[in-house]
Amino acid sequence: MYGNVKTAELVSLRIDGTEISVPSNTSVIEAAEAVGVLVPRYCYHPGIPSRPAQCRVCLVEIEGQPKLQPSCNISVQEGMVVHTASEEARSARRSVIELLLVNHPLDCPICDAAGQCMLQDYAFETRQLASRLNEEKLVMGRDRIAEDILYFADRCIICTRCVRFMREVAEDDALIVAQRGYRAYIDTFPGAVLDNPFRGNIVDVCPVGALVHEDFLFKARFWDLDQTASVCPSCSTGCNVTIDTVENQIVRLKPRHNSEVNSYWMCDHGRKHLIMSNRGLRPEAPLLRRDGKLVPTGWGEALTWVAERLREVSRGMAIVSPHAANESLFYFRTLLDRIGIAGGTFRVEQGEEAILPGFPKLQLRADRAPNASGAELHGFERFDGGAHSDPGGDAVAVLEDPLGELPDEWGREASFFLYVGNRLSPAARNAHAILPVTTFAEMEGTFTNFEGRVQRFHQALQPAGLARPAWLVLARLVSLLEDGGDGGVAAPTLASEAFQVMVRATPAMADLEWASVGLKGARLGSTEAAVPHAQAPAEGA
Amino acid sequence: MSRRIHPSVAGAQPFQLAERDPEAPLFESAEGQERLQAVLSRYPTKQAALLPLLGYANELHGWVSKQDMESIAERLDLTPAYVWSVASFYTMYNKHPIGRHFIQVCTNISCHLNGAQRVLKRFLEETGTRPGETSEDGRYTVIEAECLGACGFATAVQINDEYHENVTPERVSQILAGLDGNGS
Repeated sequence: MYGNVKTAELVSLRIDGTEISVPSNTSVIEAAEAVGVLVPRYCYHPGIPSRPAQCRVCLVEIEGQPKLQPSCNISVQEGMVVHTASEEARSARRSVIELLLVNHPLDCPICDAAGQCMLQDYAFETRQLASRLNEEKLVMGRDRIAEDILYFADRCIICTRCVRFMREVAEDDALIVAQRGYRAYIDTFPGAVLDNPFRGNIVDVCPVGALVHEDFLFKARFWDLDQTASVCPSCSTGCNVTIDTVENQIVRLKPRHNSEVNSYWMCDHGRKHLIMSNRGLRPEAPLLRRDGKLVPTGWGEALTWVAERLREVSRGMAIVSPHAANESLFYFRTLLDRIGIAGGTFRVEQGEEAILPGFPKLQLRADRAPNASGAELHGFERFDGGAHSDPGGDAVAVLEDPLGELPDEWGREASFFLYVGNRLSPAARNAHAILPVTTFAEMEGTFTNFEGRVQRFHQALQPAGLARPAWLVLARLVSLLEDGGDGGVAAPTLASEAFQVMVRATPAMADLEWASVGLKGARLGSTEAAVPHAQAPAEGA
Repeated sequence: MSRRIHPSVAGAQPFQLAERDPEAPLFESAEGQERLQAVLSRYPTKQAALLPLLGYANELHGWVSKQDMESIAERLDLTPAYVWSVASFYTMYNKHPIGRHFIQVCTNISCHLNGAQRVLKRFLEETGTRPGETSEDGRYTVIEAECLGACGFATAVQINDEYHENVTPERVSQILAGLDGNGS
């Protein structure tokens, strides 16, 4: 009757006067999106498989059918003529919104979701600006659904997206609808809280302000957020995210859709970790050791001094961080080659793994760093034999590893100790020169995820003090070493230029383009060859 | 307190009527196991056996406790949350302990017209409770019920499994005394 769904042949239909051909297994709501018509929706979510058609707000008129149809669970048919905004459809939608607003507290001025609330939007769109209800509103109160998630029952419209996310995507049937009818609310088992590692997504799928993160509660209004496309740095999956900032502070991370990486989801570790980890003492100006003390100085003087000292270095060791961007790792490798240090190691913090069953590609992976693959690609070796050994009397150059848990006297005997990083740990303070660089959130660049997918992130924050992207600092050092800094060798000044230099010099990346990496990333051509130990830690040290 | 099955329904109720005993184990007894197997044998899936087992807990304990929901969930391979979802959907599973005499006063239209509100008021006064509350001695819980299907004999009152018909406020004391005289 509906044709063979597997072969998904094309069918033509007309939506609001626009002719379109789509595969026969497309729903009307999806087909409408393809012609640029966004039919209102609450219970429908593209990432949640079930289509209960229970919110009734996506009703559309289909010619030849006696009643309005829910566009989310009706498949397209040849010759269908759909009107999403006919008088009948609009009036039905208006009634749905009016009923949803019967017990709604209209507390938009103090609601976290105001500004990105689908109830607010559609109420305004359907001109439901006054209530015809004279009775008292039902007051339900609020509940703690999880350690970090609050549920405002009065705002809830029982679309059950959260319940179905937990049931169908997280496959953890711990969230349910309790009671029924106008008394229905979302609940866990009495006394239990939601502890699934992907529970934060229920806040994202909530079309209204019923489920909110306590971390974000009353922190900011949606309109005041600056939103930046980025990549989650908390494990090697590299979920695409949006970083929301207010006044140069990260207030939350939201997943950004990428069907190849994380679909619409991300894990709770990722949501929290960046905000928590972006603390600690930062170097804000270049620091040079003079008469045994670290003295702040300007960039020009610092780079000239470091370049001079590097000329004298011939042997030593290198340590990098898997949190550094591809471009930074590339220029660090170039610098090391120039001064004659081979190899180099990095350590990857390990953590517990978690899989999202409904989208198994999305995992919280054991490697708690975004760019271990990138570090391997640029010739650095994974090292998990405990702490980094002391360089003794050799030279040592460090890129972005915080040297956190090393003894205070680590590196004190080194002939030359260069620290290019963004944390001032006791060991880092033994450096002869500390060049302050940005965190990934303060710069533009790329990471390579566990399967060799190169993904771009954008600058979300202003750098701390004089900190600059590591690739910029390192490229400048390289050019000073090559020509004394008289301008003969141009150092890149844009991330895109640094990327191009890297791609030309790195065979495994040869087929990448800055523009085509875009917002969704691109896989390296020969992933297997390029990233031999993408996931499994190398044995020994 | 033994219960009587009306002959007209006896044949249709192969696994019903547990003695109410709030302290009895739900499944850790011969009767409990027998009941569980009898119910499971009648349904195509374990999930489908949820309602009768909630009903069993309600009959046995007078209400469905958290522990009851957890042990039912375990037996049926469901999450406790799902069991709670279903139990809370239906108003006739009690979610709180009830008194030994569970008094349901019908206040739907026929009974209402015949003075059900006065009957209800009298029951509450005599037992010293508010609707849904259990008296301090654990004897009585009085609630307002939807239609008991005895419109020809309004006001209808159901006490545990017994019907009392044509109840007037004047008869309330006598009915309550009869309950106590019943030895319970």
